[in-house]
Amino acid sequence: MLRYTNVRHRLTLWYVAVFGLMLLLFILGATMLEYWQLTRQMYHAEIQDVETAEGLLAFAPDGRLVLHEEYHNYPQSILLLDRYMEVLTPEGHVLLRNNKLQGRDLGGPPFPGEGLASYQQRSYHQRRVRLADGTRLLLISHIHAIGSQPLLIRLAYSSAPIEHGVLQFVSLLLLAVPPALLLAGVAGYRMARKALQPLDNMAQRAETITASDLDQRLPIENPNDELGRMARVLNELLQRLQNSFETLKRFTADASHELRTPLSSIRSVGEVGLQRLQTPEQYRDIIGSMLEEVTRLTEMVDGLLSISRADAGQVVLHRTRFSALGLAREVVALLGLLAEEKGQQIQIEGDADLSVNADRVVLHRGLANIVENAIKYGPGASCISILVARTGNYVDISVEDRGETIQEDLREKIFERFFRIDVSRSRQAGGSGLGLAIAKWAIEVNGGSVSLQPGQHGGNLFLVRIPAASSGVT
Amino acid sequence: MNILLVEDERKLADAVAEGLQGEGYEVTLSPSGEDALSSIRRVHFDLVLLDVMLPRRSGLDVLGDMRRTGLNVPVLILTSRDSIEDRVLGLDAGADDYLVKPFAFVELVARIRALMRRNLPAAPSSLRLGDLTLELDGRTATRGGRKLELTAREFDLLEYLMLNCGSVVSREMLAREVWKQVMRYTPLDNVIDVQITRLRRKLDGDFQKKLLHTVRGVGFVLREDEP
Repeated sequence: MLRYTNVRHRLTLWYVAVFGLMLLLFILGATMLEYWQLTRQMYHAEIQDVETAEGLLAFAPDGRLVLHEEYHNYPQSILLLDRYMEVLTPEGHVLLRNNKLQGRDLGGPPFPGEGLASYQQRSYHQRRVRLADGTRLLLISHIHAIGSQPLLIRLAYSSAPIEHGVLQFVSLLLLAVPPALLLAGVAGYRMARKALQPLDNMAQRAETITASDLDQRLPIENPNDELGRMARVLNELLQRLQNSFETLKRFTADASHELRTPLSSIRSVGEVGLQRLQTPEQYRDIIGSMLEEVTRLTEMVDGLLSISRADAGQVVLHRTRFSALGLAREVVALLGLLAEEKGQQIQIEGDADLSVNADRVVLHRGLANIVENAIKYGPGASCISILVARTGNYVDISVEDRGETIQEDLREKIFERFFRIDVSRSRQAGGSGLGLAIAKWAIEVNGGSVSLQPGQHGGNLFLVRIPAASSGVT
Repeated sequence: MNILLVEDERKLADAVAEGLQGEGYEVTLSPSGEDALSSIRRVHFDLVLLDVMLPRRSGLDVLGDMRRTGLNVPVLILTSRDSIEDRVLGLDAGADDYLVKPFAFVELVARIRALMRRNLPAAPSSLRLGDLTLELDGRTATRGGRKLELTAREFDLLEYLMLNCGSVVSREMLAREVWKQVMRYTPLDNVIDVQITRLRRKLDGDFQKKLLHTVRGVGFVLREDEP
C-alpha cells in the first residue's frame, strides 16, 4: 500500500475524498428527490386522467362498456396516448381493456378494498405493477359507479419516461464529478502547498543551523498563525540554546585558563627545582609548593564537579526541616573566627521559628560561601549583619557587608563561574573564583534564589531566598 | 602488618605502596579484581585497599564476592566518584571505610591506622608530648607546668593533633574530625588556617622549642624534633 508521508499530499487527498463524498451524497439526494417528484406528478396526472376517463365511460346499448375515444382527437398530454386502462367489475370480471394493453392483464384480480384505499382522502389507490413483458407501470385504481353498476377502473402509465429522465439527470450530474474533483484537487493541493510553504522554509533554514551559527533564526511569515507561533517558539528555543552554548563556551575557556594557572606553576616550580642540586630543605619547599597548587586544582575540580552535577540535575538532596536562623548561627559559629581576625563584628538576628525544608549540608555550604565573601571583602573592623525574616512563602536570609558597593551591571555576573571583579586582588585573597557560583547552585538546587543588592549603609546585601517549610511537614 | 593494594593505576599504586612501606607496612600489589580474589584466598592480609574502578570487574563486585565467601578482612574502598550514593553502595557492599580520590596520603595512613585500631583498648585519659600534657577528662592542657588557655575548638584541635602525634594531618581530616563537617570547602580551609595560627601562638609562642609544624602543601604535624 502506498503510504502518503507527505502532509501536502495527504491533505489534498483528504480534501478531494471528502469533497467527492459530499458530491456523491448530493447527487444521490437530488436524484431521489427528482424521482419522487416525477412519480408524484405522474400519479397526479393519472388521477386526473381517471377522472376524465370516468366521464367518457358508458354502457353501450348492447351492454358493452365503451370509452369515447374520439375525445382524444386533441390529446392534452402525450401521456394520455400511453395510457393503459382496464375496467373490471369488483368481482374481477374484465369489462374493458384498451388497445395499449393488447389484451394483457393489468394488475391481476382485484384485492379486497382496491380502489377504495384512501389516497389524500379520495378513493384512489396507487401501486407499482409489472406487465407480463416486464414493462414497469405506475397504476391507479378507483371504484366508480356508472348508473348502479360499480366499476373498478385501473389506469397506468409506463414509468420508463421517469426512469429515463432520472437516468439522464444522474448522468449529467455524474459527468460533472470528475472535473469538479480534479479542480478541487488542484485547488486543494495549491492551498496546502501555500499553507505549508512557511514550514518548508523553516525546515530549510533549520537544516543549515549548526552549533557554530546558533545566532540564525527561523523565518516568521505570519506571526499570528499557528506556523508563525511555532517558528517563534522554536526561535525562543534557539535563543536559549545559544545562551547556554555561549555560557558553556565561555565556561570552558575560563576553566581551561583557570586550570592552566596552577598547572603551569607546578610545572615551572618542578622544572626550576630540578635545574640544579638543592638541599633537602629546598626540595621539601619545592614539593610543598607543588602540593599547594595540587590542592588548589583539586578544590577547583571538586567545585566544578558539584556545579556540573547540579547543571545536569544529578544532585540528590537529603531534605530535612530546620530553622534558618539555626543554620545561619551555625555558619557564623564556624566562620566567625575569620571575621574576628579582621576585627569585624557579625550581628545576627531573626525569628528562630522560621523553618526551611532543604538539604542542610548543601545549603550550609552555600551560605558559608556568601558569609565568607562578606568577611573577605568587608573592610576591617566593620560590621556584617545577617537577618532572617519571612517574605510570603519564603524565608529570606540577608547578609549585608560594608564593603565597596558592586556596580549594578556586575551584580548578576559575580555569581558566574570564575568571574572576578579584580583578578589580582581576589587571587591574592585565595579565591578559586567559584565561591559564589557554588553558593548560587547550592541555594538554587534547594529551590531558592540569591541576588545582590546595594546595602542600606553602603556595601552589598546578598539576599538568599529559600522556600519556607510548609507547616505540618516534618 | 600486611596490606593488599588493589589498584590498576600503576603510578598511583607504586607511590602508595612505597609510602605505606615507609610507614612500616608490608604491601602486596594487585592490578585486577580476579588477581586480588585469588591472593586473598591464598594469603592472610590484615587490610585490603580496594579501588572501585577496576578493569573488567568493579571493586564493589570483588568486595561482594569476598563478603559472600566469608572473607572478613577489613576493606577500605578508594573511589574517584564522591557522590553520596557511591559511598552508600560501597558501605552496603561491606566496606569498612572509603576514601575519595585524589586523597592526601597522610589521610590514607590515618584511616588505615583507625581501622587497625578498632579492636584496641580505650584511649588513655591523658596525652603527653615532651613538656605538653593534655588531660582529656578535665579538658585542660599544660605546657612546662603552665596551663594553656584554650577555647573548646582549640582543645579539640590539639587533642586530635596529639592523637596523631608524629604524623601529618591534612585539612580534610581536621575538617571532618575536629569541625565535624561532612563536606570540606574553601571557607573552612581558611578557618582551619586561622585556628592553627592561634593555637600555635598559645602553644609555642612563649617556648623555645616549637611543637606545631606546618608541612607545606600537606597539612600540620605535632612533634618534638624539627622536621
